[in-house]
Amino acid sequence: MTAVLGPLGVRVERGPAVLAAADDGPSLAAHRATHGELPGVALTPLLADLERVGLRGRGGAGFPFGRKLETAAKGRGRPTVVVNLSEGEPASAKDATLAMVAPHLVLDGALAAARVLGAREVHVVVPEADLQVRAAVEQALGERPRDRVRHVVHRADESFVAGQVNAVLELMAGRPNRPVTAWEPAAVSGHRGRPTLVSNGETYAQLGLLVLRGVRDHLSRGTTDEPGTTLLTLHDDGGKRVVEVAFGTPWKALLDPASLDRPVLIGGYHGTWAEAGRLRELTVSRSGLAEADLTLGAGVVLVPDGCPLWFARSVTTYLAAQSAGRCGPCRNGLPAVAEAFTRVVDGVGGLAELERLCGLVERRGACAHPDGTARMVRSALARFPEEVQRHTRGGCSEGGRPRA
Amino acid sequence: MRERGADHQLRVDWPACQARGVCFELLPELIELDDWGYPVVGGPVTPELLTAARAAVHGCPRMALRLLPG
Repeated sequence: MTAVLGPLGVRVERGPAVLAAADDGPSLAAHRATHGELPGVALTPLLADLERVGLRGRGGAGFPFGRKLETAAKGRGRPTVVVNLSEGEPASAKDATLAMVAPHLVLDGALAAARVLGAREVHVVVPEADLQVRAAVEQALGERPRDRVRHVVHRADESFVAGQVNAVLELMAGRPNRPVTAWEPAAVSGHRGRPTLVSNGETYAQLGLLVLRGVRDHLSRGTTDEPGTTLLTLHDDGGKRVVEVAFGTPWKALLDPASLDRPVLIGGYHGTWAEAGRLRELTVSRSGLAEADLTLGAGVVLVPDGCPLWFARSVTTYLAAQSAGRCGPCRNGLPAVAEAFTRVVDGVGGLAELERLCGLVERRGACAHPDGTARMVRSALARFPEEVQRHTRGGCSEGGRPRA
Repeated sequence: MRERGADHQLRVDWPACQARGVCFELLPELIELDDWGYPVVGGPVTPELLTAARAAVHGCPRMALRLLPG
């Protein structure tokens, strides 16, 4: 596998589809040399193609992208397209990677979406704090020829919840980049009350490739049930790396044997835990992971060094600090959850109280930050009952703190 | 007015809610307060609670409560 120039501190490997041309550099000339011009597309055949390939968003729910597109197309008023590259999850680097190695695939996907929707604007949300991504996006936009569709760049705050869809809509409206209550989905009523198609960079890159290469090319990868590929950000002994893999790839082909024998957090800080050895039998598959009560989410895979409860507690403390502070149950509840978790890990607190507090934050916020936090905590408690018991008695299988 | 079919749902606009507790005063059948005084909605609004639920919606000083058709 070839190393590609990606974000600082992240190893990027060439992949089978969206990262296939990564070696050629991010220029528009290289992109066009590989893929040619963006062909004309119409809504109905594109929706049929999306149905066949089953393209989904990269949020926890993995919402079908075609349905979102159809909702935006059928809504009232001229739709708007938003490419969300803000990637608030600090453990994820897939969209930063795409911005740096395949920006025109993302922008072609967004342009195709804008054309079928009759949108006049593509809004690109970049992370304020990531100068590499900002520069890559500016460079790529500067290379593109004039088009009826105009690009507008926004800079998202450096916070976990800044990339949440309603926080992004707030940013675009010139208000603080924090979540608010949405009474309707963005695809129905988003930016300026118009239908707004918001998705992450990877989904637009997949869409771009689908339009450029056709449905048969997409169906040639992955499995019959889950065609195509997905991006993963892996954190194990090998450091942080972004890989693109076909659905159906066994996890044991991705992680080294030592990592497979350790607990793994899948889906990022809002994700779910797999017990040591669990991934040996599983593949990269949404349905397969769902059967094991796991979710792929944005594709972050963390193999922490040392005690999983200690790591889960640290993540919880971080997530509590990342509450935007707008919703009472989150602002008060997440620090209480983090404190109760700390007491459990330290062997001085009750499990029942921690579980009660998780219940007090779930479904009680403008965004899913409290829900995702509670999900990760509950999953740690459910998957590592023996470790929890050991901590209750003041012990730890790993001797407390994580190994350095 | 659609009164038939599924029960109505109460939804809280969480960023707007400032734990004033008026909803709990007006609709104790369905609303409890959590450790910090924010409402915990017990379930869907049954027809017999609809009037009290509307009062709670109108009584909220933050206009943070909404009644949505089920």
